[in-house]
Amino acid sequence: MRAGGFRSLPVTVRVPLVAAALMIVLGVVASQQVLAALGRLQDARLRETARLHVEGLSVALGPAVLRKDVWEVYDTLDRAKAAYDGQRLLLTVVADEDGRVLAASDPRRAPVDSDVADFTQGAIAPEDVRMTGDPVLRVAAPLVYQSRAVGTVATELDVRDLLSERRAATWLLLAGNAAATVLLVFAGWLAVSRLLRPIGLLEEAMDAAGGVPRPIPPDRVPKGDPHFARLIETYNAMTGAVEARAEAERRLAERERFVSLGRLSSSLAHEINNPLGGLLNAADTIRTYADRPEVVRTSAALMLRGLSHMRDVARAILEENRLDRAGQPLRPEDFEDLRLLFEPEATRRAQTLDWSVKAGPRALGEFPAAPVRQVALNLLLNAGAAAGERGRVGLSLTEDAGALTLEVSDSGPGLAPADLDRLMESGPLPAGGGVGLRLVHDIVAGLRGQIRHERAGGDTRIRVALPRPANGHA
Amino acid sequence: MSPGRRRFIAGAVAAAAAAPMRLRAAGTLRFALTPVFLDNDAAVIGRLRDALAEGTGMQIELVQRRTYEEITGALLEGSVDAAWLCGYPFLQHSHELELLGVPVWRGQPLYRSYLIVGRDDPAAGLADLRGSSHAFSDPNSNSGYLVTASDLIRMGEAPETFFSRTFFTYGHRNVVRAVAGGLARSGSVDGYVWEALAAVEPALTEATRIIARSEWLGFPPFAARAGGGEATAAIGRALRGFSGTESGRAALSLLFLDDVIAGSVALFDGIALRMADLARGP
Repeated sequence: MRAGGFRSLPVTVRVPLVAAALMIVLGVVASQQVLAALGRLQDARLRETARLHVEGLSVALGPAVLRKDVWEVYDTLDRAKAAYDGQRLLLTVVADEDGRVLAASDPRRAPVDSDVADFTQGAIAPEDVRMTGDPVLRVAAPLVYQSRAVGTVATELDVRDLLSERRAATWLLLAGNAAATVLLVFAGWLAVSRLLRPIGLLEEAMDAAGGVPRPIPPDRVPKGDPHFARLIETYNAMTGAVEARAEAERRLAERERFVSLGRLSSSLAHEINNPLGGLLNAADTIRTYADRPEVVRTSAALMLRGLSHMRDVARAILEENRLDRAGQPLRPEDFEDLRLLFEPEATRRAQTLDWSVKAGPRALGEFPAAPVRQVALNLLLNAGAAAGERGRVGLSLTEDAGALTLEVSDSGPGLAPADLDRLMESGPLPAGGGVGLRLVHDIVAGLRGQIRHERAGGDTRIRVALPRPANGHA
Repeated sequence: MSPGRRRFIAGAVAAAAAAPMRLRAAGTLRFALTPVFLDNDAAVIGRLRDALAEGTGMQIELVQRRTYEEITGALLEGSVDAAWLCGYPFLQHSHELELLGVPVWRGQPLYRSYLIVGRDDPAAGLADLRGSSHAFSDPNSNSGYLVTASDLIRMGEAPETFFSRTFFTYGHRNVVRAVAGGLARSGSVDGYVWEALAAVEPALTEATRIIARSEWLGFPPFAARAGGGEATAAIGRALRGFSGTESGRAALSLLFLDDVIAGSVALFDGIALRMADLARGP
């Protein structure tokens, strides 16, 4: 199973799987241990057999080997073979000190006077005997009589029975351990599943309704486990807190509109105040020259222009603050409003404003007005503050087949890391600073759009791409 | 009571009634056996002792020794009263020994020496065995050494050089075992023992094949030190009277023998000829 696949499994499945895997590992290790112990036991048995055989032969054959009495040696081996009934000891060869065979339990395989080297080749000492997987093991040792090596004993041990015993034990262990492991895996699965049931409950509650945590009803809280009961109590309290936070964030976003407007208020006050001087002058001129119709006409026209500008500004402010905008489609006029609201701010800072809206009413109409206006205004405010006196601020809106692209640029020094985090990341809001950029992030995420940030040629560009909604407004 | 035992008791009673003059002296007679015998058969030994005890009316102690040399030595020094010897050592010491009787086997007091090889050995005669290993029974055995050794002398060979290796097994049955087991390629064995083994241990003799039989020679005799007195005479009488007693017949039957006769030294002339050949050398 791929790690990703495994990780995507619920914890109530993963933990029992891990428990099962551990059981299997345990079974394998335990079997290995038992087999190793069996091997050691068999080796010890073999060593003992080989040692007793060689020592016994040394005692029994010493004098005969010393005399090189072929018959005596053969007779002893033959009688020993009859006593052993051919088990284990396949062949025993006894040679004199020159390495010539005196006699063997099977003289046809090891004739008298042949070279014992044929039987000591690859042979090991009795104390080193161990199972090698070979059905026949060769053992050789000097035949010691009266503390003197008077010859050689070479023996072939038949270990087929031990091998089959080991094979049988392996199979038995394999079968037994497999059965035990299956049983333990099942039991482990049951136990862990049961233990993890409250976790499953939590997981289910957290995943419910598209990732919004829901409280767990009291009747589903597992009885008899105070720890889990407390955990779920804490979780329920937490879901309340999460809900409260979401509500707070929603209110904050709501307020943000007023906040952005608030940031524009001094510029907008100037915007209303400046024409007022001209309007008062025009009114005074009309009063003074009431009998001169051409002057009155000119002054009235001046007043009309001033007042209509003031009306436009007031309307834009009102539009920004309308509470019933939800669901209104975006129109080109929304961007004219934005320009009206932002331009005085740029003018106040002697900034160059580069404004370009190349999206038709039909394309714009597919997007909701309020969030897009909020995004554009927040980015403009941010850009204006960053560009500083005599800086450059730009807004460009383009449409293409699938998306609406809003790009806001400024000639400022670039976004501070904390601001960039606010704009690009979803993590917790860093302390201090406003919520404007984070609001942009959240709104764009809500519209399933993407934000790109780049620094190029001393300009900071923030590009927001909003995909066209599949059906109706998002 | 089994018919066998009833017959045995009846025989014993009859024998006691028929021989009122039998010695009843206290003491034990010592009788030595050689590996001519089926040396591992406790039943044979027991029967022989019973028959001798009944025949002599004395307690019998059977003494078993490994070699003819030991038996002959014991006989000559007087530590045993009588022995079942081989014709060869009997002739070697014929001046100091007295013939008590000669067993009759298959109707005559004669036997032969066999030259045997393994069942599948292609050898057809002694000449084919050059350079191989050979098992002898005993250096003082006629059938187990003298016959083959003198045959080789007659061929202009010596056993020590003709064979690559020779060894003594000190028992005719052992010679058969050595050849059957493949320890030696060939062996010199008492024909009587081989035939007896063929009856009681056919698996053993079936692993061997006879490739040569000697001429008929005097059967291994019962002997005592010359001038042994009444004790040895009693043993001689008992042996020769085996066929007349139930226990004697039982012993003879187990030994595959027909009877024990007085015999004469002339029976062993064939052995004497071979002894002369051996003494002459190749």
